[in-house]
Amino acid sequence: MLLELKHLRKDFGGLRAVDDVSLNVPEGAIIGLIGPNGSGKSTLINLIAGTIDLTAGQVIFAGEDISGLSADAVFHKGIARGYQEPTLYFKMTVLDNLLLPVKGQRGERPWYAPRWSTWQREERAHALAAMEVLRQVQLLPYYDTLASDLSGGQMKLLEIARALMGAPKLLLLDEPTAGVAPKLAYDIFRQIARLRDDHGITLLIVEHRLEILFDFVDYVYVMHLGNLLAGGSAAEISDHATVREVYFGD
Amino acid sequence: MINIDIGATAIAILTLFGIYSLMAISLNLEYGIAGVPNFGQALFVSIGAYTAGITYTRVLPLLAGLESVHPCGPTMGQALQLRSEIMAAQPLAGFINLGLTFLIAAIVSGAVGFAVSYVTLRLKEEWFLALVLLVGGETVRIVVRGADDFICSHNGISGVAQPFYFLRDPHSSSLLFMLLCLALALVAYVYSQRLAHSPYGRMLKGLRENEDVTRGLGKGISLARAQIMLIGSAIAAVGGVLFALNTGFVNTNDYVVNLTLDIWVMVVLGGIGNNRGALLGAALIAILDRFTQVGAIALNMSGSEIEFNYVRFIAFGLILLLMLRYRPTGLLPESRLTTNAHDVVRRAIGASNQPPTPSRHRDGGHPKHQGGGAMRET
Repeated sequence: MLLELKHLRKDFGGLRAVDDVSLNVPEGAIIGLIGPNGSGKSTLINLIAGTIDLTAGQVIFAGEDISGLSADAVFHKGIARGYQEPTLYFKMTVLDNLLLPVKGQRGERPWYAPRWSTWQREERAHALAAMEVLRQVQLLPYYDTLASDLSGGQMKLLEIARALMGAPKLLLLDEPTAGVAPKLAYDIFRQIARLRDDHGITLLIVEHRLEILFDFVDYVYVMHLGNLLAGGSAAEISDHATVREVYFGD
Repeated sequence: MINIDIGATAIAILTLFGIYSLMAISLNLEYGIAGVPNFGQALFVSIGAYTAGITYTRVLPLLAGLESVHPCGPTMGQALQLRSEIMAAQPLAGFINLGLTFLIAAIVSGAVGFAVSYVTLRLKEEWFLALVLLVGGETVRIVVRGADDFICSHNGISGVAQPFYFLRDPHSSSLLFMLLCLALALVAYVYSQRLAHSPYGRMLKGLRENEDVTRGLGKGISLARAQIMLIGSAIAAVGGVLFALNTGFVNTNDYVVNLTLDIWVMVVLGGIGNNRGALLGAALIAILDRFTQVGAIALNMSGSEIEFNYVRFIAFGLILLLMLRYRPTGLLPESRLTTNAHDVVRRAIGASNQPPTPSRHRDGGHPKHQGGGAMRET
């Protein structure tokens, strides 16, 4: 099992946003995480990514307890994430957005940074790797464009591409198709599926567009009011009476 | 009418430009590129000046093989005469002392910048650091002003001579000192440019744009910001040493909040995040400074009761307001490219789009493979 969440809890003052959630994410799977607004999905993503602190529980990643690690340490363990709103570096070019997350860059150390010859060769390799990633997500023609000048769908793709540059084992995506036209939303999910197929990346995806999500996921977890309500295949969840009641209002 | 010596004025302005450039480049690295709001720039400049005050009175005589004289109180005149004699007769001791002063000032100031920022920037709001530095700068100034051991409390230390004082020709020594200031400014500029256009500079810009995302992408932001504060503070202190040498006097009154404001005006005016902009801002403020000084003298000599020096504050306030309203990016906006990566991709794309030519495809390869070959080079 790549990721195991054990009795995760998060309190914001008197509000319990996540309450005793335990779930597993097997390696190489695409797992969906759904639930009505306010059910605690994004909070769960933030807890796994180390963006916010846990109140209680354990996060086990690749057999190692990473509970309480900071976001940068979690990233170095192999967990990258996307955000609900595109959180790119809007004043930087598409290429710079991709190069920033590359791990272990020698030129990021102030001692080496002014001595260009010590890192330019490495930077060249990273640039060419970024170029390949951009080609995959069809953003290569925009490598020199400011991120702020991209369309909403392109921003989502860039965010995914950026996470990919950190060579993650697990990618957490929070509504990767929010605000995107239906056709492009499918394209985005096809790209996501390629991350698993071509790069072996495991994915945990929060998504509201169930009609698209269910076409791609191996397993779905449902959250409601901070609790884990159900888990099962897309077909099982579609037919789950309680899920239909709280989620679809049936 | 007052007579203006054009040559001396040009030297004075260029000297000031060199000194201001160091201060502006320092703040531009910290705030312009890394987004660290240093409202205590006067503190780091003052560390350089106070260091000069201490080394010129305590270390210089020892380097000259003489016994030092307490620079304050009844022996103040004797101490002043001693360092004047040494600077005039033993230039080597003066240069070694200057080198030591730069070194000590840079280390102390860098360490203070690193320590303060590393502690305070771990907090969520980086503006806490701005307040700590603002208050810290003023606190240090008041402590130094009240303590006799540093720079003779409120009296300050005079006779902190330029290293070329031994030439005995004010014009030549000023000219060489100007060149020294410009040379150090050039070194700082080249260093800062190389820093800004590196992966480290890119990471700092990332921190400036979105701290949470950058942390989520695996960057240790507290350390990175503390490091740039170390570098920026060290450069500011070197500027402070030159500032003291230029006036020949170290006094706490020169390092009040106004100095911090001046440096902010240089950066905002020139272009936030652009080292060339910092130089432009420094040049414009150096000219404005000289203009207001000459204006004040002219008005005083004409018997006017108008305090023309205050025009400087009004002008600086107006500059800040107008720039923030009409050109918030400054006169020279930040360049968007960082490293050699864009050139690499541009060339790789260009190579893959080359039309087939006999010499390139003797082996029957497809033109696109040329691009692939380029990529495999690394």
